[in-house]
Amino acid sequence: MFGLKQFFKKLLKDDTQKVEQKTSVETIRNAFSNRYLNFKTLLSANHEVLELITDMEDAFSGSRTFGMSFIRANCTAISIHIYKIINCLNEISKNKYKELPKVLEGILPEIDRELQQKKLEAGQELVFPLERVDKTMADNVGAKMANLGEVKNNVGLPVSDGFVITAAAYECFMEYGDLRDEINRKIQFLEPANIARLHETSSEIQNLIITAPCPRELEDAIIKAYTDLMKKAGHDLHVSMRSSALGEDTMDASFAGQYRSVLNVSKEDLIFSYKEILASKYSVPAVSYRLNKGFRDADIIMCVGCMSMVNAGAGGVMYSADPGNIRHECIIINAVWGLGKSVVDGSMAPDLFVLSKEDPKIILKKEISVKRQQLVSGISEGICLADVSKGQANNPAITDEQTTLLGEVALRLEKHFGAPQDIEWAFKPDGSVSILQSRPLMVLGKELTAITDIPKSKVDLPVILTGGVTASPGVASGPAFVVATTVDMLRFPSGAVLVTKNPLPQWAALLNNAIGVITDKGGITGHLAAVAREFNVPALVGTSIATKHIHNGDIITVDATGGTVYAGRAESLLEKAVEKTSLMKGSPVHKTLGNVLKYIAPLNLTDPDASNFTPEGCRTIHDIIRFAHEISLRELFAFKKDASFPDHLARRLVIDVPMQWWIVDLGGGCKEGMKEGDAIRLEDITSDPMLTLWKGITAVPWQGPPPIDTKGFFSVMYGATMDKSLVPGMRSRYADRNYFMISKNFCHLSSRFGFHFSTVEAFWGDKVAENYICFNFSGGAADDVRRARRTELIKLILEKFDFWVKIKSDTLFARLERQKASFLKERLKVLGHLVMHTRQLDMVMSNSGRVNKHVEKILKDLSLFVTIPE
Amino acid sequence: MQEIRMLLVDDEDDFRITLANRLKLRKIDVTDVGSGNEAIELVKQKSFDVAVIDVKMPGVDGIETLKQIKQLQPSMEIVMLTGHASIKSGMEAMKLGAYDYVMKPCDIDELLIKTGDAYQHRLLKEK
Repeated sequence: MFGLKQFFKKLLKDDTQKVEQKTSVETIRNAFSNRYLNFKTLLSANHEVLELITDMEDAFSGSRTFGMSFIRANCTAISIHIYKIINCLNEISKNKYKELPKVLEGILPEIDRELQQKKLEAGQELVFPLERVDKTMADNVGAKMANLGEVKNNVGLPVSDGFVITAAAYECFMEYGDLRDEINRKIQFLEPANIARLHETSSEIQNLIITAPCPRELEDAIIKAYTDLMKKAGHDLHVSMRSSALGEDTMDASFAGQYRSVLNVSKEDLIFSYKEILASKYSVPAVSYRLNKGFRDADIIMCVGCMSMVNAGAGGVMYSADPGNIRHECIIINAVWGLGKSVVDGSMAPDLFVLSKEDPKIILKKEISVKRQQLVSGISEGICLADVSKGQANNPAITDEQTTLLGEVALRLEKHFGAPQDIEWAFKPDGSVSILQSRPLMVLGKELTAITDIPKSKVDLPVILTGGVTASPGVASGPAFVVATTVDMLRFPSGAVLVTKNPLPQWAALLNNAIGVITDKGGITGHLAAVAREFNVPALVGTSIATKHIHNGDIITVDATGGTVYAGRAESLLEKAVEKTSLMKGSPVHKTLGNVLKYIAPLNLTDPDASNFTPEGCRTIHDIIRFAHEISLRELFAFKKDASFPDHLARRLVIDVPMQWWIVDLGGGCKEGMKEGDAIRLEDITSDPMLTLWKGITAVPWQGPPPIDTKGFFSVMYGATMDKSLVPGMRSRYADRNYFMISKNFCHLSSRFGFHFSTVEAFWGDKVAENYICFNFSGGAADDVRRARRTELIKLILEKFDFWVKIKSDTLFARLERQKASFLKERLKVLGHLVMHTRQLDMVMSNSGRVNKHVEKILKDLSLFVTIPE
Repeated sequence: MQEIRMLLVDDEDDFRITLANRLKLRKIDVTDVGSGNEAIELVKQKSFDVAVIDVKMPGVDGIETLKQIKQLQPSMEIVMLTGHASIKSGMEAMKLGAYDYVMKPCDIDELLIKTGDAYQHRLLKEK
């Protein structure tokens, strides 16, 4: 009993008297239960942190979409789990590692700092007159208005008078309503793939902003700026209000049509329209665009440009270069009657003019559409559709002289800004031009430009339609899905071709799921077209007849480059299609994740016997959990050196198997009434999970290592010499021992065979929700390729048995949870078999053909004692 | 097993009442209140096993509620609930002795497992 007494003295050493009174069976049981509970909690938290890290590394290197809330939620979960791990370790070890929380508290604030929003050094003015704006002021007024101020004040082209409601105003508004936390909270509830939820959240947030009060000082400043504008004009006027977001010009991104513009606004509606534009930061396409492109939500700040309204006779958009082909030296103009808005939102088929860049007087191409309607300013406010007079509908919206004038404007702007421009323009009824916007044009990279040069191959499929305009080059094939309403949008299947009448900007939210776009109306300069180019989604617009001839579910191939849609899959064309690349790489969110991972993922403490294996040696989160895990095992196993763990709890299993199996009873795992020093036999075990696992381990006798070829042998030598830290766990001291930690409903097996390290853990009880099995497997002595093949083999088998499996380099994680005990039992036997029989398979994995052979062999063996799922 | 006596503190009525009803169906003895002040007053009179507290509440916030409850009933285990994941508030809560942290929208099974663990922890500490 000496050991036990020592243990309790240690446990309660600050109150020795109590010890004497309380050393009862009950107390002993409680002490062990406590230890067991802490150990169980520590192990499961450890497992969860490893999974969270793997998940983040996976997101960083993969092509999936994630937002800041993913990073924030994972980091928060990790920090909570680490606290739990440290608390448990300190309870197990009686506060031996008091310095660990301090180590953690050195790392966490660094991570937190990476997650914080950038602080702005913007000016204090809430409102800024456009006369004083130039391109250096993007931080105060947003990129769009900074460029427009530059056009007005430094290029000297005609731009209406106006003012900008600044970034400081936005901060003031958000601060006043205390909106940020509430918005972040709602965003956290968002699941990227759930478009119905996206709609719900978007409308909730927009509603929140629109109903929030506008601070008095801001309202006064806006009204005053408007009154000043009116005084200057000398007459009553209305304004156009356009979003000019800040923080979106950090990389190649168009943000085309993501935010709202409100035209022809009266004084009465100024504040409401301002709020509407702020709210449009959370429109469905805007939220989904940011998510897909990796923009940090909090970095986007909405400024709003207010300019006296131009009542256009004709309007439109022009590009100073061909966005699909930089080598094509031309200027592209789309024009309509009335306001140019119908060009960008794709609701009308515009006239198309292509001008020579050498001499804009030369018109290379002219396609005049029938324009029966136009958008005009309403009399009191707002805009409305009006019929175009009969004689005008077939006429070009602008004259040849006007196209030349526009061409010259385009060249001037491209020269001034030093890059191709996307320009919105209008002609007033008196014939004078006015520039509404000029921003950098998104031009496709070289690899995509190359698609436009694909020689036409012969396609042996029925042609559904030809014609239309290549808005984004490329080829795609899949089932068609026709979208007419928002409800259709909710039903849009991933991997379908989006077919729609009008290329409305709101359909942009579908471009992450759509593989191609075909529209009846619209032109190359529309917003949806711009986003399609950005997302590398082939798009053919303005085909006139797509929605008539293509039906839901039709398998079609859209050759956007060649302007043709085929029935069926045109394999010969698809071979040339360029793979979709990740949109996240290089984005602010992606970079943030990379920065955060530097504090989390690297493992420096690879050698538990090294001198830096101390709390002070922990430099990352991974180091801390590695340290805590190792030390917690040592604390449990250190029964010889430290009397805090009574001897009778860890004993060798007496068994006719040529390996060492040690048992630690955490409580209720062995028959009651066993005396100290009694040998443990299988009959003494009462732990249901352990007995189940043991069945799997012993079902098929181990034949010894499989015969290896010489290459396999050298590969083992190679692995062993190359990497001394192959074994991540309890080296030397615990080598080649297998430890079971058991209780009635719980079993944890740490096993090490040479270079192979695996843990199996299982729990099942009264509540199905708490049941789980998890499995880690790593190491191996052969070279990377062979090890990877072996890991792949285990994955194949586990997935057949419904396990969730993840592989990170040669470490495999698998788990199953919330299943009935009967379901888990079968699968725990599978793990037992795999632990025994896959250990040295890495040596024989000389080619991938062997993988299938061994999978078959293992499944055949398994079928002897478990049911193989279909 | 004895019913867990749980105190649920969240200012968001819809969320709190729905959750409380669902927890009652799972045989949890829940008392729910809408503010930190109410929670602190209640803890002065009545003992609970586990408290689930929303971090962000107007007036006395979740962290302050946690601090005061821990002073009044140190053995009560506390699980924090948050709509807006933040390392800072997580750290603060754990340092002040919270047992765990659940992120909204919370899965009722996850909450039950975490509060169940917290309850077991309390039982063992008490003995």
